[in-house]
Amino acid sequence: MKKQIPEAAPKNRKTGLILVLTALALTIMLFSMPIFRTDTVLFSKKSANTFVGDEKYQSVRAEVEQAAAQYAGFNKTEVREDVTLRTKSDGSQSSMVTFSVTSQGWNNAWQIITSGLPSGSILAILLVCVLISFLAGFLGRSRISGGVAVAFALCTLLLVPAFAMLNTRIFSRSIGTVLSGAREADISALLASADRLLYGEKAGEDVAKLLGGMTYNYTFALWGLLPAGMLLLCGVLLMQNARLGSTLARGALYCFVIALCIVILYPYYVMFITGLRSIAETNDMYFLHMLPVKWVWSNFYDIVQRGVLRYLGNSLLLSSGATLIGLVCGIPAAYAMARMRFRGKKAFLGFVIMSQMFSPVVLLVGIARLMSALKLNDTVAGLMLINAAFNQAFAIWLLRGTFVSISSEMEQAACIDGCNVFGALTRVLLPMAAPGIVTTLIFVFINAWNEYTISTVLISTSSRRPITVGITQFSSFNMIEWQYLFASALLATIPVVILFLCIEKHLVTGLTSGGVKG
Amino acid sequence: MNTILIRHKWEPYLWLLPSLLLMTVFVVFPILIVFRMSFSEISRSGVMGGFAGFKNFIDAVNDKAFGTVMKNTAVWVVSVVGLSTLFGFIVAMVLNADFHGRKIARSIVVFPWATSLVIQASVWNYIIKYEYGNLNNVLLNLGILKNAVNWRTTYQIEFAWECGVGIFVTIPFVTFCVLAGLQSIDAAYYEAATVDGAGFWKKLRHVTLPLVRPSLTVSTVLNIIYVFNSFPIVYTITKGAPANKTDTLITLLYMRAFYDQKKGAATAMSVIGFVILCIAAGLYMVISMRGEEEL
Repeated sequence: MKKQIPEAAPKNRKTGLILVLTALALTIMLFSMPIFRTDTVLFSKKSANTFVGDEKYQSVRAEVEQAAAQYAGFNKTEVREDVTLRTKSDGSQSSMVTFSVTSQGWNNAWQIITSGLPSGSILAILLVCVLISFLAGFLGRSRISGGVAVAFALCTLLLVPAFAMLNTRIFSRSIGTVLSGAREADISALLASADRLLYGEKAGEDVAKLLGGMTYNYTFALWGLLPAGMLLLCGVLLMQNARLGSTLARGALYCFVIALCIVILYPYYVMFITGLRSIAETNDMYFLHMLPVKWVWSNFYDIVQRGVLRYLGNSLLLSSGATLIGLVCGIPAAYAMARMRFRGKKAFLGFVIMSQMFSPVVLLVGIARLMSALKLNDTVAGLMLINAAFNQAFAIWLLRGTFVSISSEMEQAACIDGCNVFGALTRVLLPMAAPGIVTTLIFVFINAWNEYTISTVLISTSSRRPITVGITQFSSFNMIEWQYLFASALLATIPVVILFLCIEKHLVTGLTSGGVKG
Repeated sequence: MNTILIRHKWEPYLWLLPSLLLMTVFVVFPILIVFRMSFSEISRSGVMGGFAGFKNFIDAVNDKAFGTVMKNTAVWVVSVVGLSTLFGFIVAMVLNADFHGRKIARSIVVFPWATSLVIQASVWNYIIKYEYGNLNNVLLNLGILKNAVNWRTTYQIEFAWECGVGIFVTIPFVTFCVLAGLQSIDAAYYEAATVDGAGFWKKLRHVTLPLVRPSLTVSTVLNIIYVFNSFPIVYTITKGAPANKTDTLITLLYMRAFYDQKKGAATAMSVIGFVILCIAAGLYMVISMRGEEEL
């Protein structure tokens, strides 16, 4: 660790200062611009059995226009109409016209902060962070003030997405979608503060009564605070540290890794939260919470009722069987390949490599026919044999690599002491090759566990399905029970991911060095 | 030499026997069956008749979806293998750098590799749903979108999503192959290059790339085979709809064989796929045998 920060070069300090000032200016500009939009439904009227252009339509329309005119003074108001047409089974048509008068208000950040809205406090914190970072970077010259400046600049960067998320949730979601009784107090408080912000209490109760479907959009322009934060950070770093380039490269590296991890974990997050939602939440297109409102752990109970444990059991049986068969056949072959000289060795290796090329999928029709000829179709034993056979190549590959990497001196010694070749293998080599064998074992196990296509074709009895096929029972043609699908997918995924993590390191070296170089 | 003495000439073959038997019955026999079926007359119920010459192949090629499907298969293999190799290489380069939490990052990158394709495909199928998909949910929550977007308006876009999912699940394999290659590079090469004044790009071109080429070749060829044979992604997300426009050869083969009961055409397609794979396999053997000289 470096104890002392090298004194920044004057040129860097100047550039840094310019960057920090630019960032500050950008922030203040963004805060002053009216970029926060509030949409309010001021008035709405539904009219059934109304067709566009008929008499009834005209009269309702006039009524709506009149109402709209009343609110024209406040903000930009707008009349919207939605027509829903329905054709009944006897051919007659009915329709409903919904009119709504909406108003749009644009406000700047200062107004949000002073209005006491929940999102205002985050904006205020954001602003304070920018100011502290600026002041610490501008005034302080010590190590501590530099650290403070960097920390608060980082805070600013993190607060922008947090603001975006919370803001949208508090307004659009709380008000628009979950108007449940339990939250009425919150909602009326929110409405009151929104009313204050929009109309300065002038419209008072009149507007509060009408504020039914208020939605709030902060605009995209607010993401402009993100580059401002970046500028601030770079500037502060430049002022503190002479070497901006390496610092930024490091930062970019971490950003990339974090983004990568987020993208990779995203499907697992989806699997997890969807697996624990209620059926109403998974199929509701207006449902917009990031996390389940109610965590439905009973989904797991439901899938167990529908036979998921049996499928998991089948998978376990199938994978263990395939692994066992694969290793019993593979270890002797790999041993011969690693330790013995004989004619046709190269041919056998070629055969092994060739067989690795043909995934069972392309041979589906042939496999199905072979299995029915052997009376093995629709049995777990059949799946075991197929999986073992198609994983032979990898098993021999990995095992041979392991055996080759272990010196044969011990075995030779054992042979001289009167042990036969079989004894040399089981007593001497296998214990030493244990890590490689475990790797192979787990790898074959996972491949068999995750196999899907052959099982769909070969297994027709529901109770004999492995889990990968079993989960498809939750997605029928027109109705997919996502929560059950993902709850069982979760059960099928977690164990193998953990197993895989155990062998990850050995597997890679086995696949490349053991395999390729020999 | 790292070998042991054997007593009889035939002993090694005895050791190979179980494996050979298993593979002959369950790998070679299906191949023979498929070949025989493809040249036989096959009734709708699957009963094999006499020799039919190339009738099944003509049926397969004349299948109204065949042209589109071959094109799709080419796009699928080239885009998934190409892009996942590129991204996998970049990810491997990053994960080879020294930083805090590298172990955790490596463990996370391995996840898609360990997950069943059908599960990954189901999750992505849910994510990109228009009405209640999770991608819209997240983007709306972050305030990036104002209204829900339909992510799968046309079949071309749906096919592109399928390729995307294919790339997503293939990246870990490439990453770990390249990573193994990168770790075996002696740091002295880089030091020498630095002394000679080589920058990042020069080092990449003249040191890194030549030295990881063997691992890259292995992963690419294996990937061509895996991706060509990949079935669950397309089958789960679109099932080839609409009208086989998003099918690849493998999914079309499955549909023809087990839904439309056109086993004859399906076996002919199997043979076509098989021949394509043989070419790839031959290529792979040439490459991997190169390192086996001392056998």
